[in-house]
Amino acid sequence: AVGTPTHVSEPAFEFLLHAMIEQVEIQCLREYNKKMKMMKDRSSNDSDNNKDAQPGEKKGEGKGEDQNQEDDTKEKEEEVDEKDKQFEQELLKEEEHKQQILMNENIAAKMERMGFDVGFRLVERLAQSKSLVPPTAHTQTPSQTLLQLEAVKFICKEFWTEVFRKQIDKLQTNHRGVFVLKDGSFKWLERMPSNIEVARAMAIKILALPCGLIRGALSNLGIAAVVSCDFMDDGEKMNSCSFNVKIK
Amino acid sequence: MSKSNITAAGHTLWGKMPKANTELFALTYGSLVTELIKDYDNDIDEINKQLDRIGYSIGVRCIDELLSKCEVNGVDIGPCNSFQNTAEVVAKIGFRCFLGMTCDVTNVTENSFSLFLYENPLSIFVELPESGGGGLNDDDGGVDDFGAAAGGSGGIKRLEWSKLKYSNIYCGVIRGALEQVNMKVSCNFARDVLRGDDVNEIKVELKEMLAEGAGEEYQDE
Repeated sequence: AVGTPTHVSEPAFEFLLHAMIEQVEIQCLREYNKKMKMMKDRSSNDSDNNKDAQPGEKKGEGKGEDQNQEDDTKEKEEEVDEKDKQFEQELLKEEEHKQQILMNENIAAKMERMGFDVGFRLVERLAQSKSLVPPTAHTQTPSQTLLQLEAVKFICKEFWTEVFRKQIDKLQTNHRGVFVLKDGSFKWLERMPSNIEVARAMAIKILALPCGLIRGALSNLGIAAVVSCDFMDDGEKMNSCSFNVKIK
Repeated sequence: MSKSNITAAGHTLWGKMPKANTELFALTYGSLVTELIKDYDNDIDEINKQLDRIGYSIGVRCIDELLSKCEVNGVDIGPCNSFQNTAEVVAKIGFRCFLGMTCDVTNVTENSFSLFLYENPLSIFVELPESGGGGLNDDDGGVDDFGAAAGGSGGIKRLEWSKLKYSNIYCGVIRGALEQVNMKVSCNFARDVLRGDDVNEIKVELKEMLAEGAGEEYQDE
Protein backbone atom coordinates (compact mmCIF):
# COMPACT_ATOMS: atom_id res chain seq x y z
CA ALA A 1 0.00 0.00 0.00
CA VAL A 2 1.23 3.46 -0.83
CA GLY A 3 0.40 6.54 1.19
CA THR A 4 -0.54 9.89 -0.29
CA PRO A 5 2.63 11.82 -1.04
CA THR A 6 3.26 14.64 1.41
CA HIS A 7 4.52 16.92 -1.30
CA VAL A 8 4.00 17.76 -4.92
CA SER A 9 6.52 19.47 -7.14
CA GLU A 10 6.77 23.23 -7.09
CA PRO A 11 6.22 23.54 -10.85
CA ALA A 12 2.96 21.64 -10.47
CA PHE A 13 1.76 24.13 -7.91
CA GLU A 14 2.86 27.12 -9.96
CA PHE A 15 1.09 25.78 -13.05
CA LEU A 16 -2.05 25.45 -10.97
CA LEU A 17 -1.65 28.95 -9.57
CA HIS A 18 -1.38 30.48 -13.02
CA ALA A 19 -4.29 28.43 -14.27
CA MET A 20 -6.32 29.88 -11.42
CA ILE A 21 -5.37 33.44 -12.29
CA GLU A 22 -6.21 32.83 -15.94
CA GLN A 23 -9.59 31.42 -15.02
CA VAL A 24 -10.43 34.40 -12.83
CA GLU A 25 -9.41 36.77 -15.62
CA ILE A 26 -11.49 34.91 -18.17
CA GLN A 27 -14.54 35.03 -15.96
CA CYS A 28 -14.18 38.73 -15.13
CA LEU A 29 -13.68 39.50 -18.82
CA ARG A 30 -16.88 37.63 -19.62
CA GLU A 31 -18.76 39.70 -17.08
CA TYR A 32 -17.22 42.91 -18.40
CA ASN A 33 -18.19 42.07 -21.98
CA LYS A 34 -21.71 41.28 -20.90
CA LYS A 35 -22.02 44.60 -19.14
CA MET A 36 -20.60 46.58 -22.04
CA LYS A 37 -22.90 44.83 -24.48
CA MET A 38 -25.91 45.62 -22.32
CA MET A 39 -24.90 49.26 -22.13
CA LYS A 40 -24.30 49.57 -25.85
CA ASP A 41 -27.64 47.92 -26.60
CA ARG A 42 -29.40 50.19 -24.17
CA SER A 43 -27.85 53.35 -25.57
CA SER A 44 -28.60 52.43 -29.18
CA ASN A 45 -32.20 51.70 -28.22
CA ASP A 46 -32.42 55.09 -26.54
CA SER A 47 -31.08 56.97 -29.55
CA ASP A 48 -33.49 55.10 -31.82
CA ASN A 49 -36.37 56.18 -29.63
CA ASN A 50 -35.21 59.79 -29.73
CA LYS A 51 -34.99 59.75 -33.50
CA ASP A 52 -38.57 58.48 -33.73
CA ALA A 53 -39.83 61.25 -31.49
CA GLN A 54 -38.23 64.14 -33.34
CA PRO A 55 -39.68 63.88 -36.87
CA GLY A 56 -43.16 63.63 -35.42
CA GLU A 57 -42.68 66.80 -33.43
CA LYS A 58 -41.08 68.66 -36.24
CA LYS A 59 -43.87 67.69 -38.54
CA GLY A 60 -46.39 69.33 -36.30
CA GLU A 61 -44.31 72.48 -36.06
CA GLY A 62 -43.44 72.53 -39.72
CA LYS A 63 -47.02 72.78 -40.88
CA GLY A 64 -47.65 76.16 -42.32
CA GLU A 65 -44.08 77.44 -41.94
CA ASP A 66 -41.65 78.58 -44.60
CA GLN A 67 -39.68 75.99 -46.57
CA ASN A 68 -36.45 77.71 -45.51
CA GLN A 69 -37.25 77.39 -41.90
CA GLU A 70 -37.93 73.69 -42.41
CA ASP A 71 -34.53 73.28 -44.05
CA ASP A 72 -32.82 75.10 -41.19
CA THR A 73 -34.62 72.93 -38.72
CA LYS A 74 -33.52 69.82 -40.56
CA GLU A 75 -29.88 70.97 -40.50
CA LYS A 76 -30.13 71.69 -36.81
CA GLU A 77 -31.63 68.24 -36.28
CA GLU A 78 -28.64 66.67 -37.97
CA GLU A 79 -26.22 68.78 -35.94
CA VAL A 80 -27.98 67.82 -32.76
CA ASP A 81 -27.95 64.18 -33.80
CA GLU A 82 -24.23 64.37 -34.47
CA LYS A 83 -23.57 66.02 -31.14
CA ASP A 84 -25.76 63.46 -29.39
CA LYS A 85 -23.83 60.66 -31.02
CA GLN A 86 -20.49 62.17 -30.06
CA PHE A 87 -21.66 62.74 -26.54
CA GLU A 88 -22.86 59.17 -26.31
CA GLN A 89 -19.58 57.86 -27.65
CA GLU A 90 -17.73 59.78 -25.01
CA LEU A 91 -20.05 58.56 -22.31
CA LEU A 92 -19.54 55.02 -23.51
CA LYS A 93 -15.79 55.41 -23.50
CA GLU A 94 -15.89 56.76 -19.99
CA GLU A 95 -18.10 53.89 -18.95
CA GLU A 96 -15.79 51.40 -20.65
CA HIS A 97 -12.85 52.81 -18.76
CA LYS A 98 -14.76 52.66 -15.50
CA GLN A 99 -15.81 49.09 -16.14
CA GLN A 100 -12.27 48.07 -16.95
CA ILE A 101 -11.07 49.40 -13.65
CA LEU A 102 -13.94 47.60 -11.98
CA MET A 103 -13.00 44.43 -13.81
CA ASN A 104 -9.44 44.55 -12.51
CA GLU A 105 -10.75 45.19 -9.03
CA ASN A 106 -13.04 42.20 -9.42
CA ILE A 107 -10.13 40.03 -10.42
CA ALA A 108 -8.15 41.07 -7.37
CA ALA A 109 -11.19 40.62 -5.14
CA LYS A 110 -11.81 37.09 -6.41
CA MET A 111 -8.19 36.16 -5.95
CA GLU A 112 -8.28 37.53 -2.41
CA ARG A 113 -11.39 35.56 -1.61
CA MET A 114 -9.90 32.33 -2.92
CA GLY A 115 -6.78 33.03 -0.88
CA PHE A 116 -9.00 33.49 2.15
CA ASP A 117 -10.65 30.09 1.68
CA VAL A 118 -7.31 28.36 1.25
CA GLY A 119 -5.60 30.17 4.13
CA PHE A 120 -8.52 29.51 6.44
CA ARG A 121 -8.42 25.77 5.87
CA LEU A 122 -4.67 25.44 5.61
CA VAL A 123 -3.94 27.10 8.94
CA GLU A 124 -6.24 24.61 10.62
CA ARG A 125 -4.11 21.75 9.30
CA LEU A 126 -0.85 23.45 10.18
CA ALA A 127 -1.78 24.64 13.64
CA GLN A 128 -3.26 21.37 14.83
CA SER A 129 -0.59 20.36 17.22
CA LYS A 130 0.61 23.79 18.16
CA SER A 131 -0.49 25.97 20.98
CA LEU A 132 -0.21 29.62 20.20
CA VAL A 133 1.02 30.70 23.58
CA PRO A 134 4.37 29.32 24.72
CA PRO A 135 3.84 26.84 27.55
CA THR A 136 6.34 28.53 29.84
CA ALA A 137 4.31 31.70 30.06
CA HIS A 138 1.74 33.12 32.31
CA THR A 139 -0.15 32.32 35.37
CA GLN A 140 -2.68 34.82 34.14
CA THR A 141 -4.64 34.72 30.88
CA PRO A 142 -2.58 36.07 28.02
CA SER A 143 -3.67 39.44 26.70
CA GLN A 144 -5.32 40.04 23.36
CA THR A 145 -2.19 41.78 22.20
CA LEU A 146 -0.03 38.80 23.04
CA LEU A 147 -2.38 36.38 21.33
CA GLN A 148 -2.44 38.55 18.23
CA LEU A 149 1.32 38.72 18.21
CA GLU A 150 1.66 34.98 18.58
CA ALA A 151 -0.81 34.40 15.77
CA VAL A 152 1.00 36.74 13.43
CA LYS A 153 4.34 35.19 14.34
CA PHE A 154 2.91 31.80 13.53
CA ILE A 155 1.93 33.07 10.14
CA CYS A 156 5.35 34.61 9.58
CA LYS A 157 7.17 31.43 10.47
CA GLU A 158 5.38 28.11 10.22
CA PHE A 159 2.60 29.14 7.87
CA TRP A 160 4.81 31.12 5.49
CA THR A 161 7.35 28.26 5.47
CA GLU A 162 4.76 25.68 4.50
CA VAL A 163 3.45 27.83 1.71
CA PHE A 164 6.59 29.56 0.44
CA ARG A 165 9.40 27.43 1.86
CA LYS A 166 10.84 30.40 3.63
CA GLN A 167 9.87 32.66 6.50
CA ILE A 168 8.82 36.27 6.42
CA ASP A 169 11.98 38.32 6.39
CA LYS A 170 10.94 41.07 8.75
CA LEU A 171 8.00 41.67 11.06
CA GLN A 172 7.14 45.07 12.43
CA THR A 173 4.34 46.12 14.73
CA ASN A 174 3.12 49.10 16.63
CA HIS A 175 1.76 46.83 19.36
CA ARG A 176 -1.63 48.35 18.72
CA GLY A 177 -3.03 45.99 16.13
CA VAL A 178 -0.98 46.98 13.07
CA PHE A 179 1.62 44.60 11.66
CA VAL A 180 3.86 44.82 8.62
CA LEU A 181 5.20 41.59 7.15
CA LYS A 182 8.06 42.01 4.71
CA ASP A 183 9.14 39.44 2.18
CA GLY A 184 12.20 40.49 0.23
CA SER A 185 12.01 37.68 -2.30
CA PHE A 186 8.38 36.76 -2.67
CA LYS A 187 8.32 33.37 -4.30
CA TRP A 188 5.47 33.69 -6.74
CA LEU A 189 6.91 36.85 -8.26
CA GLU A 190 10.42 35.56 -8.64
CA ARG A 191 10.32 35.38 -12.39
CA MET A 192 8.54 38.68 -12.96
CA PRO A 193 10.39 41.36 -14.89
CA SER A 194 10.22 44.70 -13.10
CA ASN A 195 9.40 48.06 -14.61
CA ILE A 196 6.97 46.71 -17.16
CA GLU A 197 3.41 47.92 -16.77
CA VAL A 198 1.80 44.62 -17.70
CA ALA A 199 4.01 42.67 -15.32
CA ARG A 200 3.16 45.09 -12.56
CA ALA A 201 -0.57 44.68 -13.17
CA MET A 202 -0.14 40.89 -13.07
CA ALA A 203 1.92 41.12 -9.91
CA ILE A 204 -0.86 43.03 -8.18
CA LYS A 205 -3.34 40.31 -9.09
CA ILE A 206 -1.01 37.59 -7.84
CA LEU A 207 -0.41 39.46 -4.59
CA ALA A 208 -4.12 39.49 -3.83
CA LEU A 209 -3.76 35.77 -3.11
CA PRO A 210 -1.31 35.95 -0.22
CA CYS A 211 -3.30 38.86 1.23
CA GLY A 212 -6.26 36.51 1.32
CA LEU A 213 -4.12 33.70 2.69
CA ILE A 214 -3.07 35.86 5.63
CA ARG A 215 -6.58 37.15 6.26
CA GLY A 216 -8.02 33.62 6.10
CA ALA A 217 -5.36 32.19 8.37
CA LEU A 218 -5.87 34.93 10.95
CA SER A 219 -9.61 34.50 10.72
CA ASN A 220 -9.41 30.83 11.65
CA LEU A 221 -7.09 31.76 14.48
CA GLY A 222 -9.88 33.95 15.78
CA ILE A 223 -8.59 37.29 14.56
CA ALA A 224 -10.47 39.51 12.14
CA ALA A 225 -8.21 41.74 10.12
CA VAL A 226 -7.79 43.67 6.91
CA VAL A 227 -4.77 42.85 4.78
CA SER A 228 -3.26 44.89 1.97
CA CYS A 229 0.11 44.92 0.29
CA ASP A 230 2.70 47.23 -1.18
CA PHE A 231 5.76 46.87 -3.27
CA MET A 232 8.90 47.79 -1.43
CA ASP A 233 11.84 49.64 -2.98
CA ASP A 234 9.61 51.74 -5.22
CA GLY A 235 8.79 48.79 -7.43
CA GLU A 236 12.39 48.33 -8.53
CA LYS A 237 12.54 44.74 -7.47
CA MET A 238 9.24 43.23 -8.42
CA ASN A 239 9.30 40.50 -5.82
CA SER A 240 10.00 42.59 -2.78
CA CYS A 241 6.76 43.34 -1.02
CA SER A 242 5.17 44.05 2.30
CA PHE A 243 1.86 42.90 3.69
CA ASN A 244 0.02 45.29 5.97
CA VAL A 245 -2.22 43.72 8.54
CA LYS A 246 -4.68 45.80 10.46
CA ILE A 247 -6.57 44.02 13.20
CA LYS A 248 -10.21 45.05 13.30
CA MET B 1 14.01 2.89 -22.46
CA SER B 2 13.22 -0.16 -20.40
CA LYS B 3 10.47 -0.23 -17.82
CA SER B 4 12.85 -0.31 -14.90
CA ASN B 5 14.91 2.53 -16.30
CA ILE B 6 11.78 4.58 -16.72
CA THR B 7 10.79 3.98 -13.13
CA ALA B 8 14.28 4.84 -11.92
CA ALA B 9 14.30 8.03 -13.99
CA GLY B 10 11.00 9.01 -12.44
CA HIS B 11 12.36 8.59 -8.92
CA THR B 12 15.48 10.56 -9.75
CA LEU B 13 13.61 13.47 -11.25
CA TRP B 14 11.18 13.52 -8.35
CA GLY B 15 14.09 13.74 -5.98
CA LYS B 16 15.46 16.76 -7.81
CA MET B 17 12.23 18.70 -8.00
CA PRO B 18 11.74 21.57 -5.57
CA LYS B 19 8.72 20.70 -3.49
CA ALA B 20 5.46 22.32 -2.48
CA ASN B 21 3.01 21.43 0.23
CA THR B 22 0.37 18.90 -0.90
CA GLU B 23 -2.36 20.31 1.30
CA LEU B 24 -1.83 23.78 -0.13
CA PHE B 25 -2.02 22.22 -3.60
CA ALA B 26 -5.21 20.36 -2.81
CA LEU B 27 -6.91 23.37 -1.23
CA THR B 28 -5.92 25.65 -4.11
CA TYR B 29 -7.37 23.19 -6.61
CA GLY B 30 -10.49 22.95 -4.51
CA SER B 31 -11.00 26.69 -4.64
CA LEU B 32 -10.46 26.60 -8.42
CA VAL B 33 -13.18 23.98 -8.82
CA THR B 34 -15.46 25.97 -6.53
CA GLU B 35 -14.94 29.07 -8.67
CA LEU B 36 -15.75 27.10 -11.79
CA ILE B 37 -18.95 25.84 -10.26
CA LYS B 38 -19.97 29.42 -9.54
CA ASP B 39 -18.77 30.78 -12.89
CA TYR B 40 -20.59 28.17 -14.93
CA ASP B 41 -23.65 28.16 -12.81
CA ASN B 42 -23.57 24.55 -11.62
CA ASP B 43 -23.47 23.21 -15.19
CA ILE B 44 -21.54 20.03 -14.47
CA ASP B 45 -20.84 19.01 -18.07
CA GLU B 46 -19.45 22.45 -18.79
CA ILE B 47 -17.33 22.33 -15.65
CA ASN B 48 -15.83 19.00 -16.67
CA LYS B 49 -15.00 20.52 -20.04
CA GLN B 50 -13.40 23.56 -18.46
CA LEU B 51 -11.26 21.40 -16.18
CA ASP B 52 -10.07 19.54 -19.24
CA ARG B 53 -9.31 22.79 -21.04
CA ILE B 54 -7.37 24.15 -18.09
CA GLY B 55 -5.45 20.89 -17.85
CA TYR B 56 -4.64 21.09 -21.54
CA SER B 57 -2.79 24.38 -21.24
CA ILE B 58 -0.91 23.06 -18.22
CA GLY B 59 0.00 19.86 -20.06
CA VAL B 60 1.51 21.81 -22.91
CA ARG B 61 3.84 23.53 -20.45
CA CYS B 62 4.64 20.32 -18.59
CA ILE B 63 6.52 18.81 -21.49
CA ASP B 64 8.96 21.71 -21.69
CA GLU B 65 9.42 21.62 -17.94
CA LEU B 66 10.02 17.87 -17.99
CA LEU B 67 12.51 17.98 -20.82
CA SER B 68 14.45 20.81 -19.26
CA LYS B 69 14.60 18.99 -15.91
CA CYS B 70 15.86 15.91 -17.73
CA GLU B 71 18.59 17.89 -19.39
CA VAL B 72 19.69 19.55 -16.18
CA ASN B 73 19.84 16.23 -14.36
CA GLY B 74 21.37 14.16 -17.11
CA VAL B 75 18.35 11.95 -17.54
CA ASP B 76 17.73 10.80 -21.08
CA ILE B 77 14.18 9.71 -21.75
CA GLY B 78 14.61 9.47 -25.49
CA PRO B 79 11.79 9.16 -28.00
CA CYS B 80 9.20 6.52 -27.18
CA ASN B 81 9.19 3.50 -29.48
CA SER B 82 5.64 2.37 -28.76
CA PHE B 83 2.44 3.61 -27.26
CA GLN B 84 3.07 1.30 -24.31
CA ASN B 85 6.37 3.05 -23.84
CA THR B 86 4.59 6.40 -23.88
CA ALA B 87 2.17 5.11 -21.30
CA GLU B 88 4.99 4.08 -18.98
CA VAL B 89 6.64 7.46 -19.31
CA VAL B 90 3.40 9.28 -18.51
CA ALA B 91 2.79 7.10 -15.48
CA LYS B 92 6.26 6.55 -14.07
CA ILE B 93 7.90 9.81 -14.98
CA GLY B 94 5.19 12.38 -15.59
CA PHE B 95 2.91 11.71 -12.67
CA ARG B 96 5.85 10.73 -10.47
CA CYS B 97 8.08 13.74 -10.86
CA PHE B 98 5.35 16.38 -10.93
CA LEU B 99 3.06 14.99 -8.29
CA GLY B 100 5.02 12.34 -6.45
CA MET B 101 2.34 9.86 -7.41
CA THR B 102 2.67 6.14 -8.02
CA CYS B 103 0.65 5.06 -11.03
CA ASP B 104 0.24 1.85 -12.96
CA VAL B 105 -0.35 1.23 -16.62
CA THR B 106 -2.87 -1.49 -17.47
CA ASN B 107 -5.10 -2.68 -20.31
CA VAL B 108 -2.49 -1.85 -22.90
CA THR B 109 -3.36 -2.26 -26.55
CA GLU B 110 -1.73 -0.87 -29.64
CA ASN B 111 -3.51 2.43 -29.28
CA SER B 112 -4.95 2.65 -25.84
CA PHE B 113 -4.10 2.18 -22.19
CA SER B 114 -5.49 2.73 -18.75
CA LEU B 115 -3.79 4.62 -15.99
CA PHE B 116 -4.54 3.60 -12.43
CA LEU B 117 -3.95 6.33 -9.87
CA TYR B 118 -3.85 5.01 -6.35
CA GLU B 119 -3.56 8.15 -4.31
CA ASN B 120 -4.77 11.44 -5.64
CA PRO B 121 -3.34 14.57 -4.04
CA LEU B 122 -6.09 16.71 -5.55
CA SER B 123 -8.88 15.04 -3.69
CA ILE B 124 -7.47 14.51 -0.21
CA PHE B 125 -10.02 16.77 1.45
CA VAL B 126 -12.92 16.18 -0.90
CA GLU B 127 -16.25 14.51 -0.59
CA LEU B 128 -18.82 14.89 -3.32
CA PRO B 129 -22.26 15.90 -2.10
CA GLU B 130 -25.23 13.59 -2.48
CA SER B 131 -26.76 13.80 -5.92
CA GLY B 132 -30.01 15.64 -6.16
CA GLY B 133 -29.00 18.15 -3.52
CA GLY B 134 -28.57 21.86 -3.94
CA GLY B 135 -25.85 23.58 -5.91
CA LEU B 136 -23.37 26.13 -4.73
CA ASN B 137 -24.85 29.59 -4.89
CA ASP B 138 -23.28 33.00 -4.81
CA ASP B 139 -24.31 34.04 -1.38
CA ASP B 140 -22.35 31.34 0.36
CA GLY B 141 -20.00 33.75 2.00
CA GLY B 142 -16.63 32.66 3.33
CA VAL B 143 -15.94 29.02 3.92
CA ASP B 144 -17.97 26.37 2.19
CA ASP B 145 -16.93 22.87 1.30
CA PHE B 146 -18.57 20.33 -0.91
CA GLY B 147 -19.98 18.46 2.06
CA ALA B 148 -21.92 21.53 3.15
CA ALA B 149 -23.40 22.05 -0.30
CA ALA B 150 -25.47 18.90 -0.01
CA GLY B 151 -27.75 20.41 2.59
CA GLY B 152 -27.15 23.96 1.40
CA SER B 153 -29.65 26.72 0.99
CA GLY B 154 -30.78 27.83 -2.46
CA GLY B 155 -29.86 25.57 -5.36
CA ILE B 156 -33.12 24.96 -7.13
CA LYS B 157 -31.46 22.62 -9.59
CA ARG B 158 -31.26 18.96 -8.74
CA LEU B 159 -27.63 18.26 -9.36
CA GLU B 160 -25.97 15.05 -10.35
CA TRP B 161 -22.76 15.58 -8.43
CA SER B 162 -21.69 12.08 -9.34
CA LYS B 163 -21.22 13.36 -12.87
CA LEU B 164 -18.55 15.79 -11.72
CA LYS B 165 -15.13 14.57 -12.78
CA TYR B 166 -13.35 16.31 -9.97
CA SER B 167 -9.85 15.48 -11.16
CA ASN B 168 -10.61 15.89 -14.83
CA ILE B 169 -7.72 18.31 -15.05
CA TYR B 170 -5.43 15.26 -15.33
CA CYS B 171 -7.12 14.28 -18.58
CA GLY B 172 -6.42 17.69 -20.03
CA VAL B 173 -2.81 17.58 -18.86
CA ILE B 174 -2.21 14.21 -20.55
CA ARG B 175 -3.93 15.39 -23.72
CA GLY B 176 -1.94 18.64 -23.85
CA ALA B 177 1.39 17.02 -23.07
CA LEU B 178 1.03 14.21 -25.60
CA GLU B 179 -0.06 16.62 -28.29
CA GLN B 180 3.30 18.36 -27.88
CA VAL B 181 4.93 15.11 -28.91
CA ASN B 182 2.63 14.71 -31.87
CA MET B 183 0.11 12.31 -30.43
CA LYS B 184 -3.53 13.24 -30.53
CA VAL B 185 -5.28 11.38 -27.75
CA SER B 186 -8.61 11.39 -26.05
CA CYS B 187 -8.71 10.93 -22.30
CA ASN B 188 -11.54 9.98 -20.08
CA PHE B 189 -11.78 9.78 -16.32
CA ALA B 190 -13.50 6.42 -16.28
CA ARG B 191 -13.50 5.51 -12.61
CA ASP B 192 -13.20 7.82 -9.64
CA VAL B 193 -12.70 6.98 -6.00
CA LEU B 194 -14.71 10.09 -5.14
CA ARG B 195 -17.71 8.56 -6.86
CA GLY B 196 -17.41 5.29 -5.00
CA ASP B 197 -15.22 3.27 -7.35
CA ASP B 198 -12.26 1.49 -5.82
CA VAL B 199 -9.61 3.04 -7.99
CA ASN B 200 -9.05 6.13 -10.11
CA GLU B 201 -8.82 5.11 -13.74
CA ILE B 202 -8.01 7.29 -16.72
CA LYS B 203 -8.52 5.75 -20.15
CA VAL B 204 -6.29 7.11 -22.87
CA GLU B 205 -6.92 6.42 -26.54
CA LEU B 206 -4.62 7.32 -29.38
CA LYS B 207 -6.63 9.07 -32.08
CA GLU B 208 -3.93 9.95 -34.54
CA MET B 209 -0.29 10.74 -34.95
CA LEU B 210 0.10 14.34 -35.91
CA ALA B 211 3.27 14.80 -37.93
CA GLU B 212 5.38 12.77 -40.31
CA GLY B 213 8.34 12.81 -37.98
CA ALA B 214 6.39 11.02 -35.31
CA GLY B 215 5.54 8.23 -37.69
CA GLU B 216 9.15 7.10 -37.75
CA GLU B 217 9.15 6.71 -34.00
CA TYR B 218 6.34 4.26 -34.36
CA GLN B 219 7.95 1.87 -36.78
CA ASP B 220 8.00 -1.57 -35.26
CA GLU B 221 11.46 -2.58 -34.24
